[in-house]
Amino acid sequence: MLLCTAALTLSLPTLLGKTIEALIGPDPAGQVPTLALWMIGIAIAGACTRIASRVWLFNAARKAEYDLRSIVFRHLLTLDSKFYRENSTGDVMSRLTNDVQTVRALWGPGLLNIVNTSFLVSVALVLMLRVDPVLTAWALLPYPSMVVLGLGFGRRIYKSSRQVQAQLGTLSSSIQEDLTGIAIIKSYNLEENRVENFATSSTLLLNHNMALTKVRGQLVPTLGAVAALGTVVMLFIGGRRVIEGHITLGQLIEFNAYLAALVWPTLAMGWMISLLQRGRASWERLTVLLTTSPEIADGDGDAIDPDKARGDVEIRDLHLSLGDTEILHGISLRLEPGTTTAIVGRTGSGKSSLISTLPRLNAVVDGSVFLDGQDINSLPLESLRSLIGFAPQEAFLFSTSIGENIRFGVDRRPVPPTTEEGYAAAIEEAAKYAGLTRDLAALPDGLDTVVGERGITLSGGQRQRVALARALATQPKVLVLDDSLSSVDAETEREILSHLGELMKDRTSIILSHRLAAVRRADQIAVLEDGKLVELGQHAELLSQGGVYAEIYDTQLKEGVLDE
Amino acid sequence: MSSAPAPKPTQRDEAVLGKAYDSRLMLRLWRYVKPHWALLALALILIPITVAFEIAQPYLLSIAIDIYIAHHITEGLGSLALLFVSFVLLQAICSYAQLYALQLVGQRSMHSLRMATYRHILTRRLAFFDRVPVGRLLTRMTNDIESINEMFSSGVVTLIADVIRLFAIVAMMFYLNVKLTLITFITLPALFVLVGYSRKLMRTSYRQIRVKLAAMNSHVQEHLSGIKVVQLFCRERATASTYERINTEYREAYTGSIRADASMYAIVEAIGICSAAAIAWHSGSTIGEGIITVGLVVAFMEYVNKFFIPIKDFSAKYAVMQSAMAAAERIVGLLDTEETDAPLDAETDASVVEGAPAIAFSDVTFSYRIGEQVLKGLSLEVEPGQKVAVVGSTGSGKSTLIKLLARLYETDGGTIALGGRDLRTIPADEVRRRITVVNQDVFLFGGTIRDNVRLGHSSASDADVDQALAQIGADEVVRALADGADGASAHVADRGENLSAGERQLISFARALVRDPEILILDEATAHVDPKTESLIEAGLDTLMEGRTTLVIAHRLSTIRNADKIIVLAHGVVEEEGTYEELLALGGVFAKLEQSFSREH
Repeated sequence: MLLCTAALTLSLPTLLGKTIEALIGPDPAGQVPTLALWMIGIAIAGACTRIASRVWLFNAARKAEYDLRSIVFRHLLTLDSKFYRENSTGDVMSRLTNDVQTVRALWGPGLLNIVNTSFLVSVALVLMLRVDPVLTAWALLPYPSMVVLGLGFGRRIYKSSRQVQAQLGTLSSSIQEDLTGIAIIKSYNLEENRVENFATSSTLLLNHNMALTKVRGQLVPTLGAVAALGTVVMLFIGGRRVIEGHITLGQLIEFNAYLAALVWPTLAMGWMISLLQRGRASWERLTVLLTTSPEIADGDGDAIDPDKARGDVEIRDLHLSLGDTEILHGISLRLEPGTTTAIVGRTGSGKSSLISTLPRLNAVVDGSVFLDGQDINSLPLESLRSLIGFAPQEAFLFSTSIGENIRFGVDRRPVPPTTEEGYAAAIEEAAKYAGLTRDLAALPDGLDTVVGERGITLSGGQRQRVALARALATQPKVLVLDDSLSSVDAETEREILSHLGELMKDRTSIILSHRLAAVRRADQIAVLEDGKLVELGQHAELLSQGGVYAEIYDTQLKEGVLDE
Repeated sequence: MSSAPAPKPTQRDEAVLGKAYDSRLMLRLWRYVKPHWALLALALILIPITVAFEIAQPYLLSIAIDIYIAHHITEGLGSLALLFVSFVLLQAICSYAQLYALQLVGQRSMHSLRMATYRHILTRRLAFFDRVPVGRLLTRMTNDIESINEMFSSGVVTLIADVIRLFAIVAMMFYLNVKLTLITFITLPALFVLVGYSRKLMRTSYRQIRVKLAAMNSHVQEHLSGIKVVQLFCRERATASTYERINTEYREAYTGSIRADASMYAIVEAIGICSAAAIAWHSGSTIGEGIITVGLVVAFMEYVNKFFIPIKDFSAKYAVMQSAMAAAERIVGLLDTEETDAPLDAETDASVVEGAPAIAFSDVTFSYRIGEQVLKGLSLEVEPGQKVAVVGSTGSGKSTLIKLLARLYETDGGTIALGGRDLRTIPADEVRRRITVVNQDVFLFGGTIRDNVRLGHSSASDADVDQALAQIGADEVVRALADGADGASAHVADRGENLSAGERQLISFARALVRDPEILILDEATAHVDPKTESLIEAGLDTLMEGRTTLVIAHRLSTIRNADKIIVLAHGVVEEEGTYEELLALGGVFAKLEQSFSREH
């Protein structure tokens, strides 16, 4: 199709030449209408093939973009916390949108132009040589310089736009910082100060943009001028050759038309080269992403039969490093089925890191953590994770209804309910245990209340409890609460935890809380300090030991009792 | 998190997505372009000049053919070619100058727009920020302004130049030969039909594309931010299949635009050829009459070619215009939000009334959201020099109290007086100068420690800042950070992420001390820090509170015991108030709390 279109395009100059010949010739009125009809015919045929080829090619490019995007997204979902610690969501998103777009541009317009140009150039060259080799040599003289110019410009444009992008990044992070701290900006009368600070960034962006404009602005006139020089050569040399009788006027016009047909593809060639460069850069960025393999992947052992699972957790001499620093230094702990273990310690003592290893949110070495006697690294991820109900401190809810959020938990049961009523009952029950009943009654839409932009319409405590309900709804063998009631007031926390007791009768619970009072009744309390397990026992024992636990308990009483 | 959540189109966003030109919006944008009118005028003057040089070229070509080449005259052909070259160069120079001037106007206007928008955002009251997520504001400031900028940088603004060029070409053709021109443009009605058709096709298509793109981006944003939950709940497959559905819809949304784009390009090309055929046909039958020459025909063909080039790009330009208009609509919407912050410089007497309490709340009611009253008729007084501790459970209205006092929110009912004057009659910046709030989560900006202590209080010298740090007892901590002598110039990462909670607290104390405020409002931190920092903080607090009217949201028993007065808040009203001993004797809520503490101990 592309080639047909190009062939049709090139037949026009020939027709044009013939027309001019006919015009000068003896019988213009007789010959020209036929030629004109031919032109119209070619126009129509050309339009058809051009539409078909463009639609086909652009659709194919969109399809490629679609596939690429899906593949990248699927891959992203498998990557682990290490990857997301090292790459910001913004950066990953920009790869998924901008880079995929750039690669698509390479396939669509890029391919179109490359095929078009190479075909047009080679055929036009032959046709031009047929008309007059001497003239061809002269007329094409400026053309190689166009390719060189296009290349140079491409590189400069690429560099300049990189600078613009970088400055945009700086600008947006400074805006983000200011807007996050808006309360302090207001309290300290900093509005003008921040506006001035912003002005500096904005001016820099202006300058970078103008630098880019300069390059872009020079490109078209420069290349256009070089192309027009070809016309001058044609006029001057070609005119002489007509006068000297080497070629006819018609041939000269024909020749000029070939030349005109070459101008835009040649201009585009330079652009395509820069497009190719950018496309390659983007492709590389995507390849890096796609070749990053998650450290945390399915183990090759058998899945645990959910019916036989007991929820027996054993941690053996666990060392955990995040980046270059070791966070946990050899922790051993046994969590028997049906018991509750509390993990306490000061901020930064490694509590959250410890429990993050259970569902393998952070990678551990083989032989460190066992579930029902099996190394968790050997289990398929889905088998492991579906046995653990995890309620994180930062309660992330999806922007759908509260009920739907809890439903995600029900969905994950080994045997989800078969009826809608079954689902409704399960959601209802989980909400009840998470202490949401009263809140839901106060909301006009109850469970159907849609959680706003990342849960903004709910209070922090409400969000945490929805997340808890979601974890409970999975009917886990092991329930992990990662300080997941920190924004709930102390009384409610106590209430929820006491009700959880009956729900978790035959299951293993791990509760991390910054409020010691809430976890006093745990079967065992593990006290962490600087990544080590320093004390283990029940409330009364630990208190009488007079160690870290007693100290924290003491300060909490002093500071915290009036807080709530 | 460093990225903005993708904007979700609201109903209003979608309603305006289709338009590619809106004179009301253009008029609003004009406000930012206007200051640069001289440059704009220069650019506009250059347009016809550039066009003149350009359309003279085919004419020269026709002369060359008719006068020289057709009659085999070599003499003068050289100078004609030279003239042609100079026209080409002049056109290039003028068009570059024009483009540069126009871009400069565009970039400067965008800078003005950015500044105006940012100033507008920062001067909204705090309630505005509760309602509008940071991500959305960020999108306005970056993506949306960039979309408008795209209108300039992609050369769509040169549409004006295109229009002028089209008219000039037609005029020139008429000048050369009226009849031939009319015959050439016999194809024009077909062009109008085509443009109308594809515009409609593109309008619907682009609306769909934008909506789907926004949906796709917000899906990715949401699920990557919550990747942990996705993985914990084994929702990878469900998430991926939702994504694929949106992705498919996105791809399908393009069908219309691809079709419109392809047919537009191809048919315009065909119409151009038909015009050329029409020229040839007519010339063929009339060339014998001697009015039409070969040169003329060639020139006409060149003109037709030049005429159709900008029209072929129509669809690309249309897309850019459309997204610029949608962005402009959103920015104008933002600029139209009222909710101004309290006036900064009201011209009233704000001096302290002799003998009046430093702070007085009388019967204050307030709610963040309609129907959820947080303060329900709160009254309290703080005498000058007094230290008052406020206690109460989460949700009792303690932090709201602070926000109202700094006039970050407006009361719904009742009055707050500062030194005997109604808060609303005092300029907000004056209020915020007299009151310094120290929050428990300390916000630090990227920069040096000194910058963070000074923070806009430009009258404080480096020595003042260093002295404040020393008085608070933070100098040692700070020195340790920089591992050098000049600790105060140590770098603070964005949001102070390289500092511990305790260190941040100390810096915020120094920040308050350097301002030497009349009234200090303190929200005591609950974070558990190591014992050494703990004692530093306690000492720092004592320095800070010395001889100052202080209102503390208290979490520490020591603070409470040492206060001149304790106010117990419950459910938005003052439940009890008095000294420590008085409250104990009262045997109410406070006494019960105190009792439970003693028992557990």
